[in-house]
Amino acid sequence: MDTGTAYEFTPGLPRLELTQVGRGTPYGEVLRRYWQPIALSSDASRTPRQVRVLGEDLILFRTGRGSPGLLYPRCAHRGASLFYGGVERDGIRCCYHGWVFDTEGRCLEQPCEPENGLHRDRVRQPWYPVHERYGLIWAYLGPPDRKPLLPRYDVLETAAADESLITDGSGVGGGGPAFLDFNWLQHWENVLDPFHVPILHARFSGFQFSPEMALMPEVQFEYTACGVRSTQRRFLGDGRTLRRVTEVMFPNLRVVPSPRLKAGPTNILGWVVPCDDESFQIFTVAKDAAPDFLIKLRSTYGGKAWSELTPEEHQRMPGDYEAQKSQGTITLHGDDHLITTDQGVAMLRRMMAKQIRNVADGGDPPGVIFDGNDVIAIEGGNFFEDQ
Amino acid sequence: MSQTRGRGAAWNQHMGAYTPASTSGTRPVAFLGVAGVIYLDDTPATPVVIRRVSAGGRWSRRVAIPVAAPERIAALRAAFDIVWISEWGHNAHTAFQAELGLPAEPWPSLPVQFGKLDAIRRYAGDLAWAWIDDPLVMDDGARDAGGLIVRTDPRRGIAAVDVAAVVRDVRR
Repeated sequence: MDTGTAYEFTPGLPRLELTQVGRGTPYGEVLRRYWQPIALSSDASRTPRQVRVLGEDLILFRTGRGSPGLLYPRCAHRGASLFYGGVERDGIRCCYHGWVFDTEGRCLEQPCEPENGLHRDRVRQPWYPVHERYGLIWAYLGPPDRKPLLPRYDVLETAAADESLITDGSGVGGGGPAFLDFNWLQHWENVLDPFHVPILHARFSGFQFSPEMALMPEVQFEYTACGVRSTQRRFLGDGRTLRRVTEVMFPNLRVVPSPRLKAGPTNILGWVVPCDDESFQIFTVAKDAAPDFLIKLRSTYGGKAWSELTPEEHQRMPGDYEAQKSQGTITLHGDDHLITTDQGVAMLRRMMAKQIRNVADGGDPPGVIFDGNDVIAIEGGNFFEDQ
Repeated sequence: MSQTRGRGAAWNQHMGAYTPASTSGTRPVAFLGVAGVIYLDDTPATPVVIRRVSAGGRWSRRVAIPVAAPERIAALRAAFDIVWISEWGHNAHTAFQAELGLPAEPWPSLPVQFGKLDAIRRYAGDLAWAWIDDPLVMDDGARDAGGLIVRTDPRRGIAAVDVAAVVRDVRR
């Protein structure tokens, strides 16, 4: 009798220490040791904006002086949300009793109080440090005494005369909507799974990227000082080899050069930023001469954009979103059968476990910079080589 | 290798589609991790050889293997049936066979990266067992585990494991 039916199957559990992002969670504390992009620069305006990052709801605004601020939403007075506040020259004014907070949470006015609040300097609205770079707003949500420098990336620091930086928050690389409604790690670790490309992005859905990407690669995996790197070689049959280098850098940077195979060092970096345990955004910065470079980069399915597909077409031509979302809102890692092609994913999960322990023990995670050279070198790219 | 009655079914309830090979069913089982045991990804504190290992040509990695690893493995084999328990799955045997002098017939493998203790208990049943692994993946709580847990120093791996002590203690 064959007893291998589903009757006795018990589903496994997710590995929450790798997936959870809230304050006090194991990997949430690793994520908090780095600057995180939380919005496009253009999202910070005199209209307060709700943002959710690493499970925290916050209010983003830009003062009349042009400085971005990121504050806890509940006013320190009696909790009205600063989402309804008015942005002024030096800060944001609560709609309820008019308390004004600057970008670092200092209370500047308490207009209902005698003498504008004699003790207002004793009040501090919870706040987070923010910076602007590459067209993004970056926030540091970690312990203040461990705040690193906001790093630069060599591939974004120099540009040809006709090139400019292009910034995007619409989910480039996610293969779906701007706000992706499943756990961030399912997307991030996919970067180290080059073997899915010839299947998901070619066999199932036609050539979503390019015919060369449909070839099964030979891969070298390696740990780097800041993450895990995958070097894929595809033998093109015309005497050339495509050497494609992708990598993840802690805690959530994806280095994935153009899948349409723009040659040379990558001109794209993407940060996989959890909104919470069950959703994330991808913030992408590219350097190119064509302003619509990132728009053209997005996968098409039978010539159609993802958002134009019917339910039947989604089923018939699945992409990254369909594959990763269907793993579950948070995948059940206990059900995984890690095998040959999962080596990169397993290496990443192991390095995450190490850094969880490192941070919990008081150490600094890889790649944080406190002084000196703040430029991070990126190795990723598409390199065509003669055999 | 003979099938141990009932063991595959118990495992199958846990892992769904995967049924591992069985051991002799008569000797104690040594469950061997790979990372931090057979190779070191922390800075080594023991002599190592650097080798590029592969898994059927799909991928390759350079790894640091303790020089003492073949000898320790051979000593373990004399007293235990060995089962890989690692995210390397069956590739552990494939990738390290030449360097460690492993037999051609692969040892059973449990493809588990974390949460290994439950898998070990299910697989071992009533056989005596020892689990030798990197403490990084030993988050299950070791007391009353039902077997012997041997935490490696991930800078030395299996090179620093006292096999004679493992053989002695597993029978207690």
